[in-house]
Amino acid sequence: MTLYILRRLAAGVMLALVILLIVFLLISSSFDDTARTMLGQGATPESTAALVEARGWDRPVIVQYVEWIWHAVQGDLGQSAFTSLPVRSAVVDRLAVTLSLIVPALLITAILSVLLGVWAASHGGVIDRFAQGISLVGHIFPALLLAIGLVVLFGVELGWLPATGYVRFGDDTLGWLRSITIPVIVLVIPGVANMSAQVRGRMIDELNRDYVRTLRTRGISSRSIVYKHALRNAGSPALTVMSLEFIQMFGAALIIENVFALPGFGSYAFNASLQGDIPVILGISVFGVALVTVVHLVTDILNGWLNPKARVH
Amino acid sequence: MPKRSVGRTTGSALMVGALLVASACSSEGGGSASPQGDATLVFGVPQPPNSLDPAELHDGVQRYVWGALFDTLLYLDHEGELQPAAAESWEYSDDALTLTLHLRDDLSFSDSEPVRAEDVRGTLERTRTTPGPQQGNLSAIDSIEVPDDHTVVLNLSEPDDNLLTSLAQAAGVVGDPETLDDPQTQLNPVGSGPYTLNADQTDDGVVYVLDRRDDHWNAEEYPFETVTVRPITDQTARFNAMIAGELDAATVNGELAERAVDAGLSLTEVEGASLAQIVLADRDGEVVPALGDVRVRQAINMALDRAGMVESLNYGFGVPTAQVFNPLSSAYLPEGEQAYPYDVEAARELMAEAGYGDGFTLAMPANVMSMQFQATLSQAFADIGITLQWDPVPAQSSGQSTDWAAYWNIGGAAPSSRVVAQYFAPEGSNNPFGSSDPELNELIEDVAAEVDLGEADELYSRINQFGIDNAWFSPALWLDTIWATVEGVEYVGSALSMQDLRVFDVSE
Repeated sequence: MTLYILRRLAAGVMLALVILLIVFLLISSSFDDTARTMLGQGATPESTAALVEARGWDRPVIVQYVEWIWHAVQGDLGQSAFTSLPVRSAVVDRLAVTLSLIVPALLITAILSVLLGVWAASHGGVIDRFAQGISLVGHIFPALLLAIGLVVLFGVELGWLPATGYVRFGDDTLGWLRSITIPVIVLVIPGVANMSAQVRGRMIDELNRDYVRTLRTRGISSRSIVYKHALRNAGSPALTVMSLEFIQMFGAALIIENVFALPGFGSYAFNASLQGDIPVILGISVFGVALVTVVHLVTDILNGWLNPKARVH
Repeated sequence: MPKRSVGRTTGSALMVGALLVASACSSEGGGSASPQGDATLVFGVPQPPNSLDPAELHDGVQRYVWGALFDTLLYLDHEGELQPAAAESWEYSDDALTLTLHLRDDLSFSDSEPVRAEDVRGTLERTRTTPGPQQGNLSAIDSIEVPDDHTVVLNLSEPDDNLLTSLAQAAGVVGDPETLDDPQTQLNPVGSGPYTLNADQTDDGVVYVLDRRDDHWNAEEYPFETVTVRPITDQTARFNAMIAGELDAATVNGELAERAVDAGLSLTEVEGASLAQIVLADRDGEVVPALGDVRVRQAINMALDRAGMVESLNYGFGVPTAQVFNPLSSAYLPEGEQAYPYDVEAARELMAEAGYGDGFTLAMPANVMSMQFQATLSQAFADIGITLQWDPVPAQSSGQSTDWAAYWNIGGAAPSSRVVAQYFAPEGSNNPFGSSDPELNELIEDVAAEVDLGEADELYSRINQFGIDNAWFSPALWLDTIWATVEGVEYVGSALSMQDLRVFDVSE
């Protein structure tokens, strides 16, 4: 197992190197534009060239890439081209905000999806159609539309929850809860729509399998069959869907954090891309790749725990 | 289109017209004025300051925060006129090569240390030698002398008419040289401004809380004891925060103006806040030979239905224009607006006269700024035979390079000296091909050396006329900025106002 984890982590590092090289090559054509943006309306060709030179952006891309990697492995992701603040601490700070949305959203999504999926699969009929209806509705509404609609309803019209802004957990727990409620709902609805359908489908498959019939003939209660046996077997694919949901929520955060003016990873990435803040874009890429790698790795390990056949040695 | 029952600000008239009375959306504490001036203000801005390091400051909306923390040497009032600030007076030598500034004697930093001329020199020296947004604005300074604690003498290598304007903006802030190189300066600098940053309540990039210094020499100009600045990039989010009562003031776009009125907010229309135009940069035809012919550039000017663009693309919140100088500027030429009436037939004739009756293809960068206008511009150009080819570029790419013969540009209203520096000077940021002309060069040299501001205005007018006659640009419209405010707060600035806290006041 240790070897497997190390192998996966090594693959993650290789993936990060390749992705960062691609990012480097893509943004290398915009160094002049970034310098011009940094200098503002008063930028002249001379001052732009001087800034590009001062930042070392006029050197061969591969040299800059290797140098950046060298510093990155020592934990130095550089400084933002615009704010001069260290990228690493800024990204970590923003990541904490996004995770404070995504982790509760994912837990709620998992709980609701399992309840809904199992309920639909084990009862069938009207309940099943109701669950499918919920899943369909959740799929239909785009996250952006949902976010705007909920803000207008709960934030503007009813005034129950803040329309924008973020309160840090450590500053005011209740305020934090209020500030993340609508964004979490926006993340949960499409998540449940997707994951509950997967759980339902998998549960129906499991409940139709021979071992379930055998358990029934032995007089095992339906409750026990569903929750102790079928659900455990259905859990493995559900876990994979959950890991994909986690990553998808990071993508959705890009939109949601802008709509709710939340200072998270998504809005940070969005603004860095608009400005062409090269060190920040690279820092975000590193964290993004690391996150995806770790999530997949954890999923594989948990899958092995749930399903011995999936274990790796 | 929304009803135009909004307040407007134009230069000296700080606020004209009826303000709709807010009935429902007053937030907690917002504009709750008292005779002691202990009102509070919470307002939204589209972007936070990149850095609070004096050498890294940007003019424009970022000033709302740094302008509260720092004094500038001079100040531009709501009419765009230079006024004393940290420097209570100033004078040029006859050859315009020496500028002497006399500092007030009651300036003090937020740590209570007095501000000395040496501090001004230290800040200016650092800014002019640090690659950054303000370095170019101080490039004419050759050396700085401080004959006494309250006098600063700037020796210039060449006359620079933009220098006084720059000293009223980010290039002219007064920092504390002892702390400038401290990394903390980027987040919480020591300044002599009217406010200090409340570090406990400030979250960089998210919210800035400013506490007024009642010992500041100009404190009476700032009626708000506490000001909270909330950067919210997304304009819909800013609008939602406004109508949810989370903000006391914010800009709204024309599309949302009617809803803001319905929500009981007061609107103030700041006319001519930014200029939307096509910069016809390749005036020598280096990349696109056709643009080297003034008749083609004039034809482009005549192909634009400017009034239609104001109505259809900006919900009526704007003014058609054919010149790059702001209507509030003394260089503005009212008759210049008649130079290029919308006349497609006449434009086609000019194209034919120039030998381009069959048209040509013109590539322009497609970016965030141009998106809203692309379809209309493509149609207008097609009407006179020019095929516009919109090439997608990265979001931060402005097109201000020799890669593009022409580009769409939206820039904030600026004083005449800055307009000349950016749009007409050979090294100007909006003159990427370095276009020049003997007549223009002479005017630019004359105005740089002119120490009489009245005479300078006359020269700026002639530069403006040159730009119009030679169709260096194809200006389209001045876009208005619409400020929504709750009851108790009013916006009193104009298009030429510095974007700092002096544009807000307490209303009765």
